[in-house]
Amino acid sequence: MPREVEPSLNERQFVLQALQENLRLDGRELDQYRPLELNFGEEYGVADVTLGKTRVLAKATAEVTVPYTDRPLDGIFTIATELSPMTSPSFEVNRATETEVLLSRLLEKTVRRSGALDTESLCLVAGQKCWSVRVDVHVLSHDGNLIDAACFAVVAALRHFRKPDTSMDAGVLTVYTPAEREPVPLSWLHSPFCVTWSFFGEDGEFAVLDATWLEEQVRVGSCTVSLNKHGEICQIAKLGGTPVDAVSLLQCTSVALTKVKEFSELMDRRLTEDLKRRDKGGFMAQLKADNDR
Amino acid sequence: MTATTVPEAATGVLPRADGSAKYSHAGYIVTGSVNGPIEAQRRDEHPYEAHVDVIVRPAAGIGGTRERHLESILQSSLAQIILVKNFPRSLIQIVLQIEHSPENDYVNTKLVQANLNISIMPALFQTSVLALLSAGVPMKAIATATAVALSHQNGTKQTIVDPSPREVETAQSVHVLAFTSHDELLLAESEGHFTVNEWDDVYETARKVCCRPTTQKEGIAMVLDDEDASGPDMRHFVRSTMESKVATDLHWK
Repeated sequence: MPREVEPSLNERQFVLQALQENLRLDGRELDQYRPLELNFGEEYGVADVTLGKTRVLAKATAEVTVPYTDRPLDGIFTIATELSPMTSPSFEVNRATETEVLLSRLLEKTVRRSGALDTESLCLVAGQKCWSVRVDVHVLSHDGNLIDAACFAVVAALRHFRKPDTSMDAGVLTVYTPAEREPVPLSWLHSPFCVTWSFFGEDGEFAVLDATWLEEQVRVGSCTVSLNKHGEICQIAKLGGTPVDAVSLLQCTSVALTKVKEFSELMDRRLTEDLKRRDKGGFMAQLKADNDR
Repeated sequence: MTATTVPEAATGVLPRADGSAKYSHAGYIVTGSVNGPIEAQRRDEHPYEAHVDVIVRPAAGIGGTRERHLESILQSSLAQIILVKNFPRSLIQIVLQIEHSPENDYVNTKLVQANLNISIMPALFQTSVLALLSAGVPMKAIATATAVALSHQNGTKQTIVDPSPREVETAQSVHVLAFTSHDELLLAESEGHFTVNEWDDVYETARKVCCRPTTQKEGIAMVLDDEDASGPDMRHFVRSTMESKVATDLHWK
């Protein structure tokens, strides 16, 4: 497989010097995100997130399986991130790179371990039957800040998703098809989002939000903060790189909170818009005389 | 879900790939990217020709035997139309990401399905051809593909172009055929019971969809607007997609 092209020395210095003068190549502020777009697919549980040139597609699915024997009361919830050569030819099929491992670990910590999805509600028959919810993250195009975009897509897909309705009658479990009963949403507790800071300069004195791929290649370190709109921090990951001053890290988390509030506002807005679009009949349909009584 | 009866496509949708296309038709949405010619791995290297690598990725779940089978069919037919001899020791990599496939509302879909769903093949095939065109990979010919289902309903035979999942389920046989722009048969995959005569009918139907001739009238290419013509005109579709791509590419002139 061809290796990823590294930025040349000139490119590297150009980016760094510009940052020292508080300038970015695309003319953004240091703490400004690229335009974030969220679109939902025709079916439930498909979220297409575009962040500048980065594009991530997440799809949530559910099926009935047997729960793990050590957790008979819990459903199964997995996030699958597999980077295909579509992202970049340097990614090989069925061989996890470092980027992929770090991405799936961070998503796991942010969404799964923070208890965003109530897994107990996925249990159907204790120890015998449960829902297995799976989110597949497809990275279509990678231009930096994959973590934030992927996390946003996963949360959007899960909040948009509807699983088939079920009923228990005299010990018999019935799973209804979409034609029989309208699917039901998951029991969602809170929406965590990731905000990734990239550090530049010798002591990491320049903190930059939403780095592009070129910036990611020349940064000296990065730190991902995951939190929800209430300011509850789910995790902070600073994996190696240049040590950063504690005070500036505190500054970063407070800026992250304002960004997360913007994210959750955007997501709420898009979800209600989508709901309105789907609910074509709405109130008028209820008022119709030919409504089946 | 309203299945689009008219095929739609956009080229150059992914900024970092050499070529890419998004194609939607009959409820299927596929995004494809093409990188190439690039350096091949040692095990794939061929001294005289380029290795064509096709990767099919399902919308949900990990690819299994089903995807590998689709890949091998697509790989062998695409290698026929790409001028592989022009690029020895290199690799042309085609990645096809299925974004949406039509669902049967009367059945709960299972994630892992062992049976092969060949009705997705035309969408995959058409996406890869468009992505290859977008990447500027030299090809002998352009190909078009379609799916045809044969069903017997109260004694009468019926050929359905681009069948829905429900029609596939009730059909006696499903066929996927692809033709090159020289009207040659490139790919023929069939599933189910059928006779030789029935296959001939299918062949004629698919040929009408894939290789409808454009009539020349006073030097202007015109498409016959037949009332009885069944199914979309795939060749005209590919042509108009590429025309709009060229028009936008040369916008600066």
